[in-house]
Amino acid sequence: MDLFLQIFLMINVFLIGAFTATALRHGWAHLHPHPDEKLKHLAVPAVKLPNEVREHLLEKAQTNFQTVLDHSNAELERDLKDTVSRLNGKLEKMGAEIVADEMKRYRMDLDALRRQTEANISGAQTEISKHQTDLKSRIDTKQAELEAKMNEEIAAEKQVLVAQLDTKLADAVASFLTETLQHNVDLGAQTSFLLSTLEEHKEELKKGIANET
Amino acid sequence: MKLKLPSGVASAQDLTTLLVEIKDYYRWYAHEAIKKQVDAKHTSQPPITSKAAMELLKDWKAMQQISQQSLETLMNTLQDYVQTAPSITITLAASPTSGIKNSLVAWCRENIADNILVAFQFNATLLGGMVVQHASHVYDWSFRRQLLAARQNFPEVLRRV
Repeated sequence: MDLFLQIFLMINVFLIGAFTATALRHGWAHLHPHPDEKLKHLAVPAVKLPNEVREHLLEKAQTNFQTVLDHSNAELERDLKDTVSRLNGKLEKMGAEIVADEMKRYRMDLDALRRQTEANISGAQTEISKHQTDLKSRIDTKQAELEAKMNEEIAAEKQVLVAQLDTKLADAVASFLTETLQHNVDLGAQTSFLLSTLEEHKEELKKGIANET
Repeated sequence: MKLKLPSGVASAQDLTTLLVEIKDYYRWYAHEAIKKQVDAKHTSQPPITSKAAMELLKDWKAMQQISQQSLETLMNTLQDYVQTAPSITITLAASPTSGIKNSLVAWCRENIADNILVAFQFNATLLGGMVVQHASHVYDWSFRRQLLAARQNFPEVLRRV
């Protein structure tokens, strides 16, 4: 709160208290005069006034005093109201400013928190996206590797099975031919083939025999 | 001295048999020579009966006069043949006839070595072709070998059918 406003308010409170105390004192003194004072007033007049005049003056004085007192009281009350009104206005204004400041600070803090939260969420989302991308990449790579490995294994297994099948088939056919043909041999028909075979391997035979001898 | 073996003498066993016959002939010839020296009137027929031995003696006689010394030379020559001549063994899918034997032996002596000895065996599982064995070398040119060697091609051929 502003220091000047505080001082001003304190001074106003002090003046209001002083005026109130003075008014109450005067009122009390008027309504309950001190016996000595009554005697003093009674004793002061040096001039002998008739009782009627004295009563008239006394009533007039009382009336005037009452009027002044009422007037002072009214002014004091008006000032008090005015002060209270100003104080209320000031307090409302201060309250409004404080509330506005607090709201503004609250909004700023809230905005900052919101921005920070959004940044954190964005960062987290980025991290999550990055992590998901990384995971997906790893999964894809692993899947590709597994698929390649599985395809290789399947191909190898298939190759082995085909080779085994071919071997079995070849053995069967060879055995069939061997069993079937060995009973029907005609060397006469093979003579030219035998000679051509020897002719074909003549150099090989000559070389082998020359090496042995 | 260069000696041409008869075509009927193919293997070392044939040559050994021929050598035995020549030795018998040599003994007979020696006896006949002694009988001739003493004018013995009884003579005997030569013991040689095989065509190959007669052919060999005929060829030998064409090269030099038959005498005990020349016959000893012939026996020594044949003995050298038995010990030194290269030999091969041909295994066929069936027992070869003499014609086939003569053809194969003649080819071997013309193209490989003129003093080569060729022994024959048969093995029905060969199906055809032949297996030639010389010392530690075996040349398998049989049908069975070719079938087994080409058995990997059977599935391929079947797939094309």
